[in-house]
Amino acid sequence: MDFDMTKPNPEVQPWSMKFWEGTKEGKLLIQFCKDCKSNIFYPRKFCPECWSKNLDWKQAGGKATVYTFSTAYDMVEPKFTDELPYTIAYVDLEEGIRLMTRIVECKPEDIEIGMPVEVVFYPRNDFMLPYFRPVKK
Amino acid sequence: MSKGKIAIIGIGEVPTRNMPERTHWDIIYDTCMEAVRDSGLNKNDIEGAISVTPQAQPKIAAELSFGKLPEELGLKGCKDAVSVNAGGASTSNAIRLAEQWITSGIAKAVLVHHVTVHSTIPIPDLINFFAKAGVDQQWEYPYGTTYNIIMGLMANRYIKETGCKPEEMASVVTALRSWAAKDPNSFFYGKEVPSVEKVMASSLLNTPLHKRESNVLGDGGCAMVIVSAEDAKKMKRPAAYKLGDSVRYFSGTCVMRDFYKVAEGFIVTAKEAMSQAGITKDDVSLWNCYLAYPLAHPLIAELLEVAPQGMGGKYFLEGRMSFGGDIPWSSIGDAPGRGHTGSGVSSACYVETARQLMGKAGERQVKNCKYVYQNAGGGSGFNNIATIWGRDF
Repeated sequence: MDFDMTKPNPEVQPWSMKFWEGTKEGKLLIQFCKDCKSNIFYPRKFCPECWSKNLDWKQAGGKATVYTFSTAYDMVEPKFTDELPYTIAYVDLEEGIRLMTRIVECKPEDIEIGMPVEVVFYPRNDFMLPYFRPVKK
Repeated sequence: MSKGKIAIIGIGEVPTRNMPERTHWDIIYDTCMEAVRDSGLNKNDIEGAISVTPQAQPKIAAELSFGKLPEELGLKGCKDAVSVNAGGASTSNAIRLAEQWITSGIAKAVLVHHVTVHSTIPIPDLINFFAKAGVDQQWEYPYGTTYNIIMGLMANRYIKETGCKPEEMASVVTALRSWAAKDPNSFFYGKEVPSVEKVMASSLLNTPLHKRESNVLGDGGCAMVIVSAEDAKKMKRPAAYKLGDSVRYFSGTCVMRDFYKVAEGFIVTAKEAMSQAGITKDDVSLWNCYLAYPLAHPLIAELLEVAPQGMGGKYFLEGRMSFGGDIPWSSIGDAPGRGHTGSGVSSACYVETARQLMGKAGERQVKNCKYVYQNAGGGSGFNNIATIWGRDF
Protein backbone atom coordinates (compact mmCIF):
# COMPACT_ATOMS: atom_id res chain seq x y z
CA MET A 1 0.00 0.00 0.00
CA ASP A 2 1.24 3.45 -0.89
CA PHE A 3 0.85 5.86 1.95
CA ASP A 4 1.78 9.51 1.66
CA MET A 5 4.46 9.77 4.33
CA THR A 6 5.03 13.51 3.91
CA LYS A 7 4.63 15.36 7.19
CA PRO A 8 1.96 17.98 6.64
CA ASN A 9 2.66 21.67 6.70
CA PRO A 10 0.07 24.09 8.04
CA GLU A 11 -2.19 25.25 5.17
CA VAL A 12 -1.49 28.95 5.53
CA GLN A 13 -3.91 31.72 4.59
CA PRO A 14 -2.59 35.16 3.57
CA TRP A 15 -3.78 36.66 6.86
CA SER A 16 -2.11 33.97 8.99
CA MET A 17 1.28 34.25 7.28
CA LYS A 18 2.53 36.61 9.99
CA PHE A 19 1.84 33.99 12.67
CA TRP A 20 4.09 31.47 10.93
CA GLU A 21 6.75 34.07 10.20
CA GLY A 22 6.72 34.77 13.94
CA THR A 23 7.28 31.15 14.92
CA LYS A 24 10.38 31.11 12.72
CA GLU A 25 11.71 33.98 14.84
CA GLY A 26 10.84 32.22 18.09
CA LYS A 27 7.79 34.40 18.69
CA LEU A 28 4.23 33.28 19.43
CA LEU A 29 2.14 36.01 17.87
CA ILE A 30 -1.49 36.70 18.59
CA GLN A 31 -3.68 38.64 16.25
CA PHE A 32 -5.73 41.36 17.92
CA CYS A 33 -8.35 43.89 16.90
CA LYS A 34 -7.37 47.52 17.42
CA ASP A 35 -11.03 48.57 17.37
CA CYS A 36 -12.73 46.18 19.80
CA LYS A 37 -9.51 45.10 21.58
CA SER A 38 -10.23 41.36 21.12
CA ASN A 39 -7.45 38.81 21.02
CA ILE A 40 -8.13 36.57 18.03
CA PHE A 41 -7.32 32.93 17.47
CA TYR A 42 -7.10 31.56 14.92
CA PRO A 43 -6.06 34.55 12.75
CA ARG A 44 -8.79 35.88 10.46
CA LYS A 45 -9.15 38.25 7.53
CA PHE A 46 -11.55 40.35 9.61
CA CYS A 47 -12.15 40.50 13.35
CA PRO A 48 -14.75 37.81 14.14
CA GLU A 49 -16.13 39.98 16.96
CA CYS A 50 -16.75 43.29 15.15
CA TRP A 51 -15.78 42.64 11.49
CA SER A 52 -13.12 45.35 11.68
CA LYS A 53 -10.14 44.98 9.37
CA ASN A 54 -8.06 47.12 11.71
CA LEU A 55 -6.03 44.13 12.90
CA ASP A 56 -2.52 43.87 14.29
CA TRP A 57 -0.24 41.40 16.09
CA LYS A 58 1.27 41.20 19.55
CA GLN A 59 3.67 38.73 21.06
CA ALA A 60 2.28 36.30 23.60
CA GLY A 61 4.22 35.55 26.76
CA GLY A 62 4.31 31.88 25.82
CA LYS A 63 3.01 30.62 29.17
CA ALA A 64 -0.03 28.37 29.25
CA THR A 65 -1.83 25.65 31.21
CA VAL A 66 -2.95 22.28 29.92
CA TYR A 67 -6.74 22.28 29.51
CA THR A 68 -6.84 18.68 28.35
CA PHE A 69 -4.61 16.18 26.57
CA SER A 70 -4.52 12.74 24.99
CA THR A 71 -1.41 10.66 24.43
CA ALA A 72 -1.42 8.65 21.20
CA TYR A 73 0.06 5.13 21.16
CA ASP A 74 -1.50 3.67 17.99
CA MET A 75 -3.87 4.24 15.06
CA VAL A 76 -2.50 7.55 13.86
CA GLU A 77 -1.74 8.24 10.21
CA PRO A 78 1.29 6.28 8.96
CA LYS A 79 3.16 9.56 8.41
CA PHE A 80 3.10 10.12 12.20
CA THR A 81 3.79 6.60 13.51
CA ASP A 82 7.55 7.26 13.77
CA GLU A 83 6.77 9.88 16.41
CA LEU A 84 4.65 7.63 18.68
CA PRO A 85 3.94 7.99 21.51
CA TYR A 86 3.07 11.66 21.37
CA THR A 87 0.72 13.88 23.30
CA ILE A 88 -1.79 16.23 21.74
CA ALA A 89 -3.19 18.89 24.05
CA TYR A 90 -5.35 21.96 24.23
CA VAL A 91 -3.47 24.63 26.16
CA ASP A 92 -4.83 27.91 27.45
CA LEU A 93 -2.49 30.87 27.00
CA GLU A 94 -2.42 33.59 29.63
CA GLU A 95 -3.77 35.89 26.92
CA GLY A 96 -7.05 33.96 26.85
CA ILE A 97 -6.34 31.92 23.73
CA ARG A 98 -6.74 28.13 23.42
CA LEU A 99 -4.42 26.27 21.01
CA MET A 100 -4.04 22.70 19.89
CA THR A 101 -0.43 21.68 20.28
CA ARG A 102 1.89 18.92 21.40
CA ILE A 103 3.34 18.52 24.87
CA VAL A 104 7.03 17.61 24.62
CA GLU A 105 10.18 17.18 26.69
CA CYS A 106 8.49 15.11 29.39
CA LYS A 107 7.14 11.60 29.92
CA PRO A 108 3.51 11.16 28.84
CA GLU A 109 2.61 9.83 32.30
CA ASP A 110 3.81 13.09 33.88
CA ILE A 111 1.35 15.24 31.92
CA GLU A 112 -1.64 16.52 33.89
CA ILE A 113 -4.59 18.78 33.25
CA GLY A 114 -3.79 22.17 34.78
CA MET A 115 -0.05 21.69 34.38
CA PRO A 116 1.87 24.93 33.58
CA VAL A 117 3.66 24.77 30.23
CA GLU A 118 5.70 27.11 28.05
CA VAL A 119 6.09 27.42 24.30
CA VAL A 120 9.00 25.86 22.45
CA PHE A 121 9.33 25.75 18.68
CA TYR A 122 9.93 22.54 16.74
CA PRO A 123 10.75 22.33 13.02
CA ARG A 124 8.32 20.88 10.47
CA ASN A 125 9.70 21.10 6.95
CA ASP A 126 10.03 24.88 6.34
CA PHE A 127 7.85 25.75 9.32
CA MET A 128 8.31 25.98 13.07
CA LEU A 129 5.36 24.57 15.02
CA PRO A 130 4.59 25.90 18.51
CA TYR A 131 4.81 22.99 20.93
CA PHE A 132 4.72 23.29 24.72
CA ARG A 133 6.88 21.78 27.47
CA PRO A 134 6.46 21.72 31.24
CA VAL A 135 7.64 24.85 33.01
CA LYS A 136 10.76 23.95 34.97
CA LYS A 137 10.13 24.23 38.70
CA MET B 1 -42.64 24.95 14.78
CA SER B 2 -42.10 21.36 13.60
CA LYS B 3 -44.87 19.73 15.58
CA GLY B 4 -46.89 17.19 13.69
CA LYS B 5 -46.12 18.25 10.12
CA ILE B 6 -44.48 15.11 8.78
CA ALA B 7 -44.20 11.41 9.51
CA ILE B 8 -42.01 8.51 8.43
CA ILE B 9 -44.30 5.80 7.07
CA GLY B 10 -41.85 3.40 5.43
CA ILE B 11 -38.37 2.14 6.26
CA GLY B 12 -35.79 -0.10 4.60
CA GLU B 13 -32.32 -1.17 5.63
CA VAL B 14 -29.57 -3.65 4.79
CA PRO B 15 -27.23 -5.27 7.33
CA THR B 16 -24.04 -3.34 8.08
CA ARG B 17 -21.20 -5.56 6.90
CA ASN B 18 -17.95 -5.40 4.99
CA MET B 19 -19.16 -6.80 1.65
CA PRO B 20 -17.22 -5.33 -1.27
CA GLU B 21 -19.28 -7.43 -3.69
CA ARG B 22 -22.40 -5.50 -2.60
CA THR B 23 -22.24 -2.32 -4.70
CA HIS B 24 -23.60 1.11 -3.87
CA TRP B 25 -26.47 0.59 -6.26
CA ASP B 26 -27.22 -2.87 -4.82
CA ILE B 27 -27.77 -1.20 -1.47
CA ILE B 28 -29.72 1.70 -2.94
CA TYR B 29 -32.11 -0.63 -4.77
CA ASP B 30 -32.65 -2.86 -1.73
CA THR B 31 -33.14 -0.11 0.85
CA CYS B 32 -35.25 2.25 -1.23
CA MET B 33 -37.54 -0.46 -2.63
CA GLU B 34 -38.04 -1.90 0.85
CA ALA B 35 -38.91 1.54 2.25
CA VAL B 36 -41.42 2.28 -0.51
CA ARG B 37 -43.05 -1.14 -0.13
CA ASP B 38 -43.15 -0.69 3.64
CA SER B 39 -44.93 2.64 3.21
CA GLY B 40 -47.77 1.08 1.23
CA LEU B 41 -47.24 3.62 -1.56
CA ASN B 42 -46.49 2.97 -5.21
CA LYS B 43 -43.01 3.89 -6.45
CA ASN B 44 -44.56 6.53 -8.68
CA ASP B 45 -46.09 8.24 -5.63
CA ILE B 46 -42.60 9.34 -4.60
CA GLU B 47 -42.36 12.98 -5.66
CA GLY B 48 -38.99 13.88 -4.14
CA ALA B 49 -35.71 12.02 -3.57
CA ILE B 50 -33.09 13.18 -1.10
CA SER B 51 -29.71 11.49 -0.72
CA VAL B 52 -27.57 11.77 2.38
CA THR B 53 -24.19 12.42 0.80
CA PRO B 54 -21.78 9.48 1.22
CA GLN B 55 -18.47 10.65 2.67
CA ALA B 56 -15.14 9.77 0.99
CA GLN B 57 -16.98 8.21 -1.98
CA PRO B 58 -16.82 10.87 -4.70
CA LYS B 59 -18.15 8.72 -7.57
CA ILE B 60 -21.45 7.71 -5.98
CA ALA B 61 -21.76 11.14 -4.36
CA ALA B 62 -21.52 12.74 -7.81
CA GLU B 63 -24.01 10.30 -9.35
CA LEU B 64 -26.53 11.02 -6.62
CA SER B 65 -26.04 14.77 -6.56
CA PHE B 66 -26.42 14.83 -10.34
CA GLY B 67 -29.86 13.25 -10.05
CA LYS B 68 -29.45 9.61 -11.04
CA LEU B 69 -31.57 8.03 -8.29
CA PRO B 70 -35.13 8.68 -9.62
CA GLU B 71 -34.10 7.54 -13.09
CA GLU B 72 -32.38 4.37 -11.83
CA LEU B 73 -35.35 3.36 -9.64
CA GLY B 74 -37.97 4.43 -12.17
CA LEU B 75 -39.66 6.93 -9.87
CA LYS B 76 -41.92 8.30 -12.60
CA GLY B 77 -43.66 10.82 -10.36
CA CYS B 78 -40.49 12.34 -8.97
CA LYS B 79 -40.36 16.12 -9.32
CA ASP B 80 -36.92 16.76 -7.85
CA ALA B 81 -33.79 15.10 -6.46
CA VAL B 82 -30.96 16.49 -4.35
CA SER B 83 -28.09 15.49 -2.09
CA VAL B 84 -27.60 16.92 1.38
CA ASN B 85 -24.26 17.10 3.16
CA ALA B 86 -23.72 18.20 6.74
CA GLY B 87 -21.59 15.22 7.79
CA GLY B 88 -23.35 13.30 10.54
CA ALA B 89 -26.12 15.89 10.58
CA SER B 90 -26.99 15.24 6.91
CA THR B 91 -29.98 13.03 7.67
CA SER B 92 -31.52 15.59 10.03
CA ASN B 93 -31.23 18.16 7.26
CA ALA B 94 -32.55 15.77 4.63
CA ILE B 95 -35.63 15.26 6.80
CA ARG B 96 -35.98 19.03 7.24
CA LEU B 97 -35.81 19.48 3.48
CA ALA B 98 -38.43 16.77 3.03
CA GLU B 99 -40.59 18.69 5.50
CA GLN B 100 -40.13 21.87 3.49
CA TRP B 101 -41.02 20.12 0.22
CA ILE B 102 -44.10 18.55 1.79
CA THR B 103 -45.40 21.65 3.59
CA SER B 104 -44.80 23.90 0.56
CA GLY B 105 -46.59 21.52 -1.78
CA ILE B 106 -43.56 20.56 -3.85
CA ALA B 107 -43.91 16.88 -2.96
CA LYS B 108 -46.45 14.73 -1.15
CA ALA B 109 -44.12 11.78 -0.53
CA VAL B 110 -40.33 12.03 -0.21
CA LEU B 111 -37.73 9.28 -0.22
CA VAL B 112 -34.67 9.91 2.00
CA HIS B 113 -31.82 7.42 1.81
CA HIS B 114 -28.16 6.81 2.56
CA VAL B 115 -25.55 4.39 1.20
CA THR B 116 -21.93 3.81 2.11
CA VAL B 117 -19.42 1.23 0.89
CA HIS B 118 -16.20 1.65 2.80
CA SER B 119 -14.75 -1.74 1.89
CA THR B 120 -13.81 -0.78 -1.67
CA ILE B 121 -12.05 2.46 -0.74
CA PRO B 122 -8.25 2.03 -0.81
CA ILE B 123 -7.07 1.89 2.80
CA PRO B 124 -4.59 4.79 2.46
CA ASP B 125 -7.42 6.99 1.12
CA LEU B 126 -9.73 5.90 3.92
CA ILE B 127 -7.17 6.60 6.62
CA ASN B 128 -6.30 9.96 5.12
CA PHE B 129 -9.97 10.97 4.74
CA PHE B 130 -10.82 10.23 8.36
CA ALA B 131 -7.61 11.89 9.55
CA LYS B 132 -8.47 15.13 7.77
CA ALA B 133 -12.27 15.37 7.79
CA GLY B 134 -13.42 17.82 10.42
CA VAL B 135 -9.84 18.56 11.48
CA ASP B 136 -8.42 21.99 10.68
CA GLN B 137 -5.60 21.76 8.14
CA GLN B 138 -3.67 24.68 9.58
CA TRP B 139 -4.21 24.60 13.34
CA GLU B 140 -4.81 20.90 14.11
CA TYR B 141 -3.79 18.42 11.41
CA PRO B 142 -0.05 19.25 11.40
CA TYR B 143 0.18 18.16 15.05
CA GLY B 144 -0.90 14.62 14.15
CA THR B 145 -4.37 14.61 15.62
CA THR B 146 -7.12 12.13 14.72
CA TYR B 147 -10.82 11.70 15.51
CA ASN B 148 -9.81 9.26 18.22
CA ILE B 149 -7.54 11.87 19.76
CA ILE B 150 -10.26 14.53 19.61
CA MET B 151 -12.50 12.19 21.59
CA GLY B 152 -9.64 11.44 23.98
CA LEU B 153 -9.21 15.16 24.66
CA MET B 154 -12.88 15.48 25.51
CA ALA B 155 -12.96 12.31 27.59
CA ASN B 156 -9.90 13.20 29.67
CA ARG B 157 -11.40 16.58 30.56
CA TYR B 158 -14.72 14.92 31.46
CA ILE B 159 -12.91 12.37 33.66
CA LYS B 160 -11.03 15.18 35.39
CA GLU B 161 -14.18 17.16 36.10
CA THR B 162 -16.45 14.30 37.18
CA GLY B 163 -14.16 11.60 38.54
CA CYS B 164 -15.66 9.09 36.07
CA LYS B 165 -13.70 5.85 36.33
CA PRO B 166 -12.13 3.94 33.41
CA GLU B 167 -14.37 0.92 34.06
CA GLU B 168 -17.41 3.18 33.88
CA MET B 169 -16.23 4.53 30.52
CA ALA B 170 -15.57 1.00 29.29
CA SER B 171 -19.05 -0.10 30.35
CA VAL B 172 -20.55 2.16 27.68
CA VAL B 173 -19.16 -0.22 25.05
CA THR B 174 -20.70 -3.16 26.86
CA ALA B 175 -24.06 -1.37 26.94
CA LEU B 176 -23.99 -0.36 23.27
CA ARG B 177 -22.85 -3.79 22.11
CA SER B 178 -25.61 -5.45 24.18
CA TRP B 179 -28.14 -3.71 21.91
CA ALA B 180 -26.09 -4.41 18.79
CA ALA B 181 -25.95 -8.12 19.53
CA LYS B 182 -29.77 -8.17 19.16
CA ASP B 183 -29.86 -6.10 15.98
CA PRO B 184 -29.84 -8.06 12.70
CA ASN B 185 -28.56 -4.96 10.89
CA SER B 186 -25.57 -4.55 13.18
CA PHE B 187 -22.01 -5.50 12.37
CA PHE B 188 -21.99 -7.26 15.74
CA TYR B 189 -25.32 -9.07 15.48
CA GLY B 190 -25.19 -12.31 17.42
CA LYS B 191 -21.61 -11.63 18.54
CA GLU B 192 -20.34 -11.88 22.09
CA VAL B 193 -20.88 -8.71 24.12
CA PRO B 194 -17.45 -7.67 25.45
CA SER B 195 -17.22 -7.39 29.21
CA VAL B 196 -15.88 -4.27 30.87
CA GLU B 197 -12.68 -6.18 31.64
CA LYS B 198 -12.30 -7.18 28.00
CA VAL B 199 -12.79 -3.60 26.80
CA MET B 200 -10.17 -2.36 29.25
CA ALA B 201 -7.78 -5.15 28.31
CA SER B 202 -7.79 -4.09 24.67
CA SER B 203 -4.82 -2.03 23.59
CA LEU B 204 -4.67 1.68 24.31
CA LEU B 205 -5.01 3.75 21.13
CA ASN B 206 -4.74 7.10 22.83
CA THR B 207 -5.56 8.01 26.40
CA PRO B 208 -8.14 7.12 27.63
CA LEU B 209 -9.47 5.37 24.50
CA HIS B 210 -9.00 1.60 24.17
CA LYS B 211 -9.25 -0.21 20.86
CA ARG B 212 -12.68 -1.60 21.73
CA GLU B 213 -13.86 1.94 22.49
CA SER B 214 -13.24 2.94 18.89
CA ASN B 215 -15.34 2.23 15.80
CA VAL B 216 -15.27 -0.45 13.12
CA LEU B 217 -15.98 0.88 9.64
CA GLY B 218 -18.64 -0.93 7.66
CA ASP B 219 -20.78 -0.81 4.52
CA GLY B 220 -24.48 -0.18 4.81
CA GLY B 221 -27.50 1.84 3.92
CA CYS B 222 -31.08 2.58 4.73
CA ALA B 223 -34.06 4.54 3.46
CA MET B 224 -37.29 6.08 4.67
CA VAL B 225 -40.45 7.43 3.09
CA ILE B 226 -41.83 10.66 4.53
CA VAL B 227 -45.30 12.14 4.03
CA SER B 228 -47.36 14.80 5.77
CA ALA B 229 -48.64 13.94 9.23
CA GLU B 230 -52.21 14.28 7.97
CA ASP B 231 -51.59 11.85 5.10
CA ALA B 232 -49.91 9.39 7.46
CA LYS B 233 -52.92 9.55 9.75
CA LYS B 234 -55.28 8.93 6.84
CA MET B 235 -53.26 5.92 5.71
CA LYS B 236 -53.89 4.25 9.08
CA ARG B 237 -50.45 2.65 9.11
CA PRO B 238 -47.78 2.59 11.81
CA ALA B 239 -45.83 5.84 11.57
CA ALA B 240 -43.28 7.99 13.37
CA TYR B 241 -44.40 11.60 13.66
CA LYS B 242 -41.86 14.39 13.96
CA LEU B 243 -42.87 16.52 16.93
CA GLY B 244 -39.88 18.73 17.76
CA ASP B 245 -36.60 19.97 16.28
CA SER B 246 -33.97 22.21 17.82
CA VAL B 247 -30.34 22.90 16.97
CA ARG B 248 -27.31 24.82 18.15
CA TYR B 249 -24.07 25.47 16.26
CA PHE B 250 -20.82 25.10 18.22
CA SER B 251 -17.74 25.45 16.00
CA GLY B 252 -16.22 24.02 12.85
CA THR B 253 -12.75 23.66 14.34
CA CYS B 254 -12.34 21.25 17.24
CA VAL B 255 -10.02 23.45 19.30
CA MET B 256 -12.48 26.35 19.06
CA ARG B 257 -15.24 24.25 20.61
CA ASP B 258 -15.99 25.51 24.06
CA PHE B 259 -16.92 22.51 26.19
CA TYR B 260 -19.45 24.48 28.23
CA LYS B 261 -21.11 25.89 25.13
CA VAL B 262 -21.50 22.34 23.82
CA ALA B 263 -22.94 21.19 27.14
CA GLU B 264 -25.37 24.09 27.17
CA GLY B 265 -26.29 23.31 23.56
CA PHE B 266 -27.25 19.74 24.38
CA ILE B 267 -29.37 20.92 27.31
CA VAL B 268 -31.15 23.71 25.44
CA THR B 269 -31.86 21.75 22.26
CA ALA B 270 -33.39 18.90 24.24
CA LYS B 271 -35.60 21.28 26.18
CA GLU B 272 -36.70 23.19 23.08
CA ALA B 273 -37.47 20.03 21.11
CA MET B 274 -39.43 18.56 24.03
CA SER B 275 -41.29 21.82 24.54
CA GLN B 276 -42.36 21.82 20.89
CA ALA B 277 -43.55 18.26 21.29
CA GLY B 278 -45.38 19.14 24.50
CA ILE B 279 -43.57 16.50 26.53
CA THR B 280 -41.03 16.30 29.34
CA LYS B 281 -38.02 14.02 29.72
CA ASP B 282 -40.16 11.66 31.80
CA ASP B 283 -42.30 10.99 28.71
CA VAL B 284 -39.34 9.82 26.60
CA SER B 285 -39.48 6.06 25.97
CA LEU B 286 -36.11 5.80 24.17
CA TRP B 287 -33.05 8.03 24.16
CA ASN B 288 -31.70 7.21 20.71
CA CYS B 289 -28.42 9.09 20.99
CA TYR B 290 -26.01 9.36 18.08
CA LEU B 291 -22.59 10.37 19.39
CA ALA B 292 -20.31 8.17 17.26
CA TYR B 293 -17.97 7.33 20.15
CA PRO B 294 -18.84 5.65 23.47
CA LEU B 295 -16.87 8.13 25.55
CA ALA B 296 -19.43 10.92 25.05
CA HIS B 297 -22.42 8.88 26.24
CA PRO B 298 -22.04 9.34 30.03
CA LEU B 299 -21.66 13.10 29.60
CA ILE B 300 -24.73 13.35 27.38
CA ALA B 301 -26.76 11.17 29.75
CA GLU B 302 -26.04 13.74 32.42
CA LEU B 303 -26.78 16.75 30.22
CA LEU B 304 -30.13 15.23 29.25
CA GLU B 305 -30.81 14.67 32.97
CA VAL B 306 -31.22 10.97 32.35
CA ALA B 307 -28.47 10.47 34.91
CA PRO B 308 -27.62 12.84 37.78
CA GLN B 309 -24.51 14.96 37.35
CA GLY B 310 -21.36 12.88 37.76
CA MET B 311 -23.35 9.62 37.64
CA GLY B 312 -23.47 9.00 33.88
CA GLY B 313 -20.66 6.45 33.91
CA LYS B 314 -22.06 4.71 36.97
CA TYR B 315 -25.45 4.30 35.28
CA PHE B 316 -23.79 2.58 32.32
CA LEU B 317 -21.70 0.37 34.60
CA GLU B 318 -24.84 -0.69 36.45
CA GLY B 319 -26.32 -1.80 33.13
CA ARG B 320 -29.19 0.65 33.23
CA MET B 321 -28.67 1.67 29.57
CA SER B 322 -27.94 -1.88 28.38
CA PHE B 323 -30.41 -4.11 26.56
CA GLY B 324 -32.87 -5.14 29.28
CA GLY B 325 -31.97 -2.17 31.50
CA ASP B 326 -34.51 0.33 32.80
CA ILE B 327 -33.33 3.24 30.55
CA PRO B 328 -33.65 2.35 26.84
CA TRP B 329 -30.66 4.04 25.23
CA SER B 330 -29.19 3.98 21.68
CA SER B 331 -31.00 0.83 20.67
CA ILE B 332 -28.81 0.12 17.62
CA GLY B 333 -25.74 0.66 19.80
CA ASP B 334 -24.72 3.93 18.11
CA ALA B 335 -21.69 3.71 15.79
CA PRO B 336 -19.67 1.44 18.12
CA GLY B 337 -22.47 -1.10 18.05
CA ARG B 338 -23.77 -0.72 14.53
CA GLY B 339 -20.45 -0.37 12.70
CA HIS B 340 -19.52 3.05 11.36
CA THR B 341 -21.03 3.88 7.99
CA GLY B 342 -19.89 7.51 7.85
CA SER B 343 -22.85 9.85 7.71
CA GLY B 344 -25.05 6.77 7.58
CA VAL B 345 -25.02 6.11 11.31
CA SER B 346 -27.42 8.96 11.91
CA SER B 347 -29.59 7.73 9.02
CA ALA B 348 -29.70 4.32 10.69
CA CYS B 349 -30.60 5.98 13.99
CA TYR B 350 -33.58 7.77 12.42
CA VAL B 351 -34.72 4.52 10.81
CA GLU B 352 -34.44 2.86 14.21
CA THR B 353 -36.45 5.65 15.82
CA ALA B 354 -39.19 5.05 13.25
CA ARG B 355 -38.90 1.28 13.66
CA GLN B 356 -39.36 1.53 17.42
CA LEU B 357 -42.37 3.85 17.13
CA MET B 358 -43.90 1.62 14.46
CA GLY B 359 -43.49 -1.35 16.79
CA LYS B 360 -41.24 -3.21 14.34
CA ALA B 361 -38.04 -3.51 16.41
CA GLY B 362 -38.40 -7.19 17.22
CA GLU B 363 -36.30 -8.35 20.13
CA ARG B 364 -35.14 -4.78 20.79
CA GLN B 365 -38.66 -3.35 20.84
CA VAL B 366 -38.98 -0.84 23.67
CA LYS B 367 -42.18 -1.57 25.52
CA ASN B 368 -44.98 0.92 24.85
CA CYS B 369 -42.61 3.12 22.84
CA LYS B 370 -44.44 6.43 22.57
CA TYR B 371 -41.82 9.18 22.30
CA VAL B 372 -38.19 9.02 21.13
CA TYR B 373 -35.42 11.58 21.62
CA GLN B 374 -33.19 11.42 18.54
CA ASN B 375 -30.14 13.62 18.17
CA ALA B 376 -27.48 14.01 15.51
CA GLY B 377 -24.33 16.07 15.13
CA GLY B 378 -22.31 17.01 12.09
CA GLY B 379 -18.62 16.83 11.30
CA SER B 380 -16.54 16.25 14.36
CA GLY B 381 -19.35 17.73 16.46
CA PHE B 382 -19.94 21.18 14.97
CA ASN B 383 -23.58 21.18 16.08
CA ASN B 384 -26.25 19.22 17.89
CA ILE B 385 -29.69 18.64 16.45
CA ALA B 386 -32.28 17.35 18.90
CA THR B 387 -35.55 15.94 17.60
CA ILE B 388 -38.56 14.36 19.25
CA TRP B 389 -40.62 11.76 17.45
CA GLY B 390 -43.93 10.22 18.53
CA ARG B 391 -46.13 7.36 17.40
CA ASP B 392 -49.05 9.77 17.14
CA PHE B 393 -49.68 13.51 17.04
